[in-house]
Amino acid sequence: MWYTSFREQVVNLQSGIERKQLQAFLERQSLSLDGDVEYAVALWDGEKLAATGSLSGSVLKCIAVDEEFKYLGLSAKIVTHLVQEAYLKGRTHLFIYTKPENKTIFTELGFYVIAEIPSKVVLMENTSKGIKNYINEMKSESAISADAAAVIVNCNPFTLGHRYLLEYAAARCRLLHVFVVWEEQSSFPAEIRYKLVQQGVQHLDNVMLHKGKDYIISKATFPSYFIKEYQELVKTHARLDLEIFTQHIAPALGIKKRFVGEEPYCKVTAAYNAAMQEVLPKHGIEVQVVPRMSLEGSPISASRVRELIRAGDIHKTKELVPETTYQFLISPEAEEIIKHIQSMNKRH
Amino acid sequence: MSRLRRTMLYVPGNHPGMIRDAHIYGADSIMFDLEDSVSLREKDAARMLVYHALRTLDYGNTELVVRVNGLNTPYGRVDFEAMVAARPNAIRLPKAETPDDIREADELITQLEELHGIEYGKIKLMAAVESALGVLNAYQIATASKRLIGIAIGAEDFVTDLKTTRSDDGIELLAARSQILFAARAAGIDALDTVFSDVNDEAGFMQEVKLIKQLGFDGKSIINPRQIEIVHRIFTPTEEEVRKSVRIIEAIKEAEEKGSGVVSLDGKMIDKPIVERARRVLQLNDAVKNSYFSTR
Amino acid sequence: MRIQQVGIAGTLESSDITIHIEPNEGKGIDIELKSTVENQFGRQIRSVIQETLLELGITDAYVRANDKGALDCTIRARMVTAVNRAALGSYSPWEVK
Repeated sequence: MWYTSFREQVVNLQSGIERKQLQAFLERQSLSLDGDVEYAVALWDGEKLAATGSLSGSVLKCIAVDEEFKYLGLSAKIVTHLVQEAYLKGRTHLFIYTKPENKTIFTELGFYVIAEIPSKVVLMENTSKGIKNYINEMKSESAISADAAAVIVNCNPFTLGHRYLLEYAAARCRLLHVFVVWEEQSSFPAEIRYKLVQQGVQHLDNVMLHKGKDYIISKATFPSYFIKEYQELVKTHARLDLEIFTQHIAPALGIKKRFVGEEPYCKVTAAYNAAMQEVLPKHGIEVQVVPRMSLEGSPISASRVRELIRAGDIHKTKELVPETTYQFLISPEAEEIIKHIQSMNKRH
Repeated sequence: MSRLRRTMLYVPGNHPGMIRDAHIYGADSIMFDLEDSVSLREKDAARMLVYHALRTLDYGNTELVVRVNGLNTPYGRVDFEAMVAARPNAIRLPKAETPDDIREADELITQLEELHGIEYGKIKLMAAVESALGVLNAYQIATASKRLIGIAIGAEDFVTDLKTTRSDDGIELLAARSQILFAARAAGIDALDTVFSDVNDEAGFMQEVKLIKQLGFDGKSIINPRQIEIVHRIFTPTEEEVRKSVRIIEAIKEAEEKGSGVVSLDGKMIDKPIVERARRVLQLNDAVKNSYFSTR
Repeated sequence: MRIQQVGIAGTLESSDITIHIEPNEGKGIDIELKSTVENQFGRQIRSVIQETLLELGITDAYVRANDKGALDCTIRARMVTAVNRAALGSYSPWEVK
C-alpha cells in the first residue's frame, strides 16, 4: 500500500539508452517492444525498473511488472497513467491485447472481453457496451437480409481489381456488406480509402459500406510484443479477427458468405485467407476465393498502383483504377500522399 | 504545552488509500501533499480529494498539515482557498525564500479565515526552506508571521541548489540544519528535519535521526509508516532523564505549595529553561507510554 | 453545468474509484457501475454519484464508475473532478455561496 518509493517516469523513446533499458526489461518478461509504441511509462524502485506499460494509438500494450514487485498494485498504477494519457490525447475508447492469463487483472481494471483465442490472446476494451453499440449502429443503418455476404478490403487505393471483386460478389448475394479496414498505417488515410470505395461502388445498389473501425483487426494494429514466432503471430491475428467476425458481426448482419480476393503475392494475406477457409465454414459461413482481374498478363493490385505512383508514372495508373480514383490521384488533395509514397522504398 | 512533532508522515495527496489510513500508524502529524508528489495534470484532483477528506474523515488528535503549492505557481492560490476552508491545523509553505513569502501567505490566510468565519489565527503556518537563500533568511522567515509554528528544511532541492548531493553522514546539510535550528530556537518555534528517502536503509535512517535529535531538532518528516517507530524510539528519553525530570517537577510543586519564588533541587537553583526541558522530557515519555507501538 | 466532452478522474488503485463521464444529451443520467464491493455498497455508491450530479446541476450524463472500495468522500471528490473536466468548469465546493 505505502509504495511512495516508486518513481513514475515517462520513458523517452527517442533516447537510445532509455529505449534499450525498456527493451531489456521486456525481454526478461518474454515480451518485446512493439515498433509502433508512441508513449511509455515506467515505475522505478530506486535504480531498478519495476513495471512498465505503453500506448500506441488507442491500444495499451507492453504492460509488464517484474516478478519481484507482483501484487503491489503496480499494474493498476501503470494502466491508470496510460488511460489518463490516452484521454488527454482525446482517445477514450481503449483496447488491450493480452495473454488470456492476464484477463482477470484487466477485468478488475475496467476492461471487458471482446474475443478470446484460448491460450493465445484476448482482446479487451474499456467499456462493456463497445462492440454492442458498434453492432447496433450497423444494424440500424443497414438493411438486414438473410442472404447476406461480406467482403473486407483495405483498398490502398481502390483499383479496378477491387471493383471487379465487389461486382462479382454483389452479383452473387442479396446484400453485400463491405468493410473498409480502419488503420492509419497504409499510404492512403482511412477516410480517403473509404471515400474512393464509396465513389467506386455507386453503381451497385445492394452494397452496404461500413467503416471497419476497432473490430476489424488489421495486421498493422495487431500487436506482436507477446508472440515471438512470426508464423504464430500471423495465425493468431487471423484467428482473433475471425473470432470477432463469427461471434459478433456475422450473426448480427445475417452474413452467410465471405468473398475474398485471391492473393498471389503477399504471404501474410495468403496465410490469413487460409485461416479463413479453415475457420469460417465451421461457423456456417461459406468462403469463396475470387481470382484476380488481370491486365497484360499480371494481376491488378493496389501495390502495382503505388509502384507506378512511386516511379512518377501517375498517368499509367489510369488503366488500373476506376475514373473516380484516377481523378483523386491527379487532384491537389492527393499531392501529400503521392509525395509520401515517392519518399518510401518499400512494397507496403 | 506545545504539541510533539517527532514525526510528520508525508501522504501523497492523490492517493485515497493512504489518505484514509494515514493516522493509524501513530505519527504525531500527517502532511497531505499537494506539491511535489502530485503531477501537474492531477493538481485539481488531489486538491479536491484532500479537501473532501479533511472535511469528512476523523483523524482523532493527529495534527493535520497540508503542503500546498507555492503562491508563485498557478496552483498556489486555489490550494490556499480550498485548504483554509477545509480547516487543517496548519498549512505548510514549500520553498520559502524570503519573509515576504511568509507574509503573503499569512495575509491570504487572514482574508480566507475572515471569509469562512474562522477565528483569526486558527490556521497555523509552517515554512520549508529548500535553497541557500532560504537558509540565509531563516531567522527572518521564522519571525515573519505569528502563525508560524515550525520551520523545516527540505534537503533534496537544497543540495541541488548547493551543487552537491546527499551523503550518508549528511555533512553537506550540517550548516543548514544548524542555521534552521538557530532560527527556530531564536523565534521560539519548532525545527523540523527533512525526509530520508531510502525506506530500506534502516541503519542509515537511525543514524540520521540520532544526529538530528542531537542537533536539537523537534522531529522529522517521514515518507513511510515503517519509519515512525524508529523516530519515536530514538526520541524517547532515558530512564535517568525521566527520573531527573520528575524530581524537577516535584520540586516546583513543592516550592509553589510553600509559596516560594525560588525553586531549588539538590542545592542548585532551577531556572526556566530547565523546567521547560523537564516538561518536554515527560511529554515525550508519556507519548511513548500511550503510543500504539508500545502496546505490542 | 453541462457535460461537453469526455472527462475522467481517479485511479484504479485500491480505495479509489475511476469516474468516466461523457455527454448524454437529452437522455438523463445513466450510471454503469463496477465495484469490488458491489453487493454491499452498490446502492450507496450510486446514490453518492446521483447526489453529486444533482448538486452540480447535471441533468444529462453517462457515468461509468470502476470502484475499488472508495469512501463516500473519495467518490464525491472524484465525481466533482470528473465533472469539472468534462464540463470545462471549475466548481469549487469551498467557495462561500
